[in-house]
Amino acid sequence: MQVFNAFIKVLKKKLPGSIIYVVVFLVIAFPMAMNTANDVDIFEADRLSICIFDEDDTKESRALSACIGKNHDLVELENNRNAITDALYYETVDYVLIINKGYSKRLADTQEQKLFSSYHMHDSYGTVFMEQFLNEYVSAVRAHIAGGAELFAAIQSTEEALSQETKVTYANFLHDDTNTDYPTNFSYFFQYMPYILISVLMHSLCPVLLAMNRKDIRFRTNCSSVKPNAYMVQIFAGSTFFIIGIWTIFIIAGLFMYGGLYQGKAWLAVLNSFLFALVSAAITIFISSFEPSQNFINLMTQVIGLGMSFLCGIFVPQSLLGDGVLAAARFLPAYWYVRANDMLAGKEVYDGTQFAAFLAIEAAFAVVLALLTLLIRRLKYSGANLLKVRF
Amino acid sequence: MERTVVKIENLVKRYGDLVALDHLSLDIQEGEVFGLLGPNGSGKTTTINCLLSLLSFDKGNIEIFGKKMTPVSYDIKKEIGVIMQNVAVFKELTVYENIDYFCGLYITDKVKRKQYVEEAVSFVGLEDFLKFHPKKLSGGLLRRLNIACGIAHKPRLIILDEPTVAVDPQSRNKILEGIAELNRNGATIIYTSHYMEEVEQLCTRIAIMDKGYKIAEGTKDELKRMIKNTETVSIEILGLSPETRAQIAALPHVYNTAYDGEKLTVYCSGGKHNLIRILDILQKQDLSFGRVYSELPTLNDVFLEITGKALRDKED
Repeated sequence: MQVFNAFIKVLKKKLPGSIIYVVVFLVIAFPMAMNTANDVDIFEADRLSICIFDEDDTKESRALSACIGKNHDLVELENNRNAITDALYYETVDYVLIINKGYSKRLADTQEQKLFSSYHMHDSYGTVFMEQFLNEYVSAVRAHIAGGAELFAAIQSTEEALSQETKVTYANFLHDDTNTDYPTNFSYFFQYMPYILISVLMHSLCPVLLAMNRKDIRFRTNCSSVKPNAYMVQIFAGSTFFIIGIWTIFIIAGLFMYGGLYQGKAWLAVLNSFLFALVSAAITIFISSFEPSQNFINLMTQVIGLGMSFLCGIFVPQSLLGDGVLAAARFLPAYWYVRANDMLAGKEVYDGTQFAAFLAIEAAFAVVLALLTLLIRRLKYSGANLLKVRF
Repeated sequence: MERTVVKIENLVKRYGDLVALDHLSLDIQEGEVFGLLGPNGSGKTTTINCLLSLLSFDKGNIEIFGKKMTPVSYDIKKEIGVIMQNVAVFKELTVYENIDYFCGLYITDKVKRKQYVEEAVSFVGLEDFLKFHPKKLSGGLLRRLNIACGIAHKPRLIILDEPTVAVDPQSRNKILEGIAELNRNGATIIYTSHYMEEVEQLCTRIAIMDKGYKIAEGTKDELKRMIKNTETVSIEILGLSPETRAQIAALPHVYNTAYDGEKLTVYCSGGKHNLIRILDILQKQDLSFGRVYSELPTLNDVFLEITGKALRDKED
């Protein structure tokens, strides 16, 4: 157990960086998992604070004011420049509309002369929103007049058309109420897990493996009476201990978000994450077999972690990614992890056979990487190469 | 009765066309400090790697403690301690943890190991640095840690591969004293170096290597007796005439002279009072001279005479 003990001691020195990763991830994951559920299926149109000065004061202009008042909050202000600019500055009003005298006549005559004046914040969201509405309103009234309608009838038809509420649907974020075992909001916790698993394992395990396999340390070990197989078994045991330890921390943290013991499909998500932990470990061990520098490890952590997250649908849903990106992502293990997780979360129709296939592909990635690592080690540490090492 | 600890017979190691070891044979007896002396690339480290079964070899046989040495001879490996020129310790572990780790590769019993580690710490004088990490140690202390890691398990055979490379003179002396003490405590030592002074000071028997060959072997006195030179006289003198130099060269036991315009070097083979005879000639010519010194032959002279080149490479 001497090698295993040393492995754990070296690991302890490398842990603080990983703990920061874990804490930051959990701090972000908790509120995300909690909040998404509360507002995901609620849509409410934004309401602006509008002040209207009706200089025309006709039934047509009053109809416009009433129409605006249905969708926005009408605010009263003193009709002087200072009071208006103060209100805009302090954002107590978003837009000040002046319906110019002669508005109804010009509207009926479809004249291009100015119907409105306004005070507004230049290029603000409220200004754009309001001016878009006014353009739409005037265009619609004139379209009805052009179609032979009387002015007031045209206004009424326009109001009726504009009063229809926009139907909003959530593609890919649809809350599946029937999937109580594995709610959509909770699935985000597992969705982001590959990034943190890769980051933590590469950040901590890679340097430990490098330390244990440093040329001079390896030389000293080879000279000792410890059998190479016993040495490898202890290194493997140390690595497994760490991988399972980190994964267990996430699974236990997940219990708090889940609100109790996992049920049904949530267990399949746990299994999926375990397989990805093995894939992450295989990636880490594969990278460490090249004996990279600490800077290179940091670089690879970002490249692999972030690259896989963006390409495979961890940070951005796969449904929003282009076909080319998805075609390339198929060659990365995180793609299959996300597919499996999406299926459990109800974003795809659940199919047990297909789900098992996703897990099998992830396992295959881990096996291939492990075999490649063994091949590289065999090539690097064969007897002929010892000569290159000047002890 | 002396027992053979290491027996190497006709060892041949090739790297492609390069013959790294050419029919090397060595017998190292129990209690010896055996020196392997030779310039860089002479085959010292290859010999050590073959000895430890870290390298396969093309021909020959190696026995340690009377048993054939193979990569799986763990019972033999248990009795061997290795100290390399590189400091091979974990920078993440403390001084104590490092010694304990490397000792633990040989000694599994915790109580015994604790005692051994404490003795090793005391032997190298690192008692005040047990909780230090290697990066906080000076170069000399690091070397001591390196030695402690190699000897903590009390090996019967200790192999030191150029342990004093890039070490300051004070630390070098301490290391050499420590090695002598390990030998006095009963360990057989194999010491490789290209520093002839160290090997002369420390080793009871020496093998000189060059290009994979063992070119000579014996005690330092035996080696020196193998060569013609027994004394080298050097005299700082200006304006030495060819006639005077010829007179000196004609003296009995003088077999060669060299003069570079400032210093006269006279090589003698046997005989006594060589220096007095040379000075007599100079005084009779009424020549004034500066410093005069007489040197006995060194291992470098042995190497120079056998191979025709200096032992120490230019970069050393």
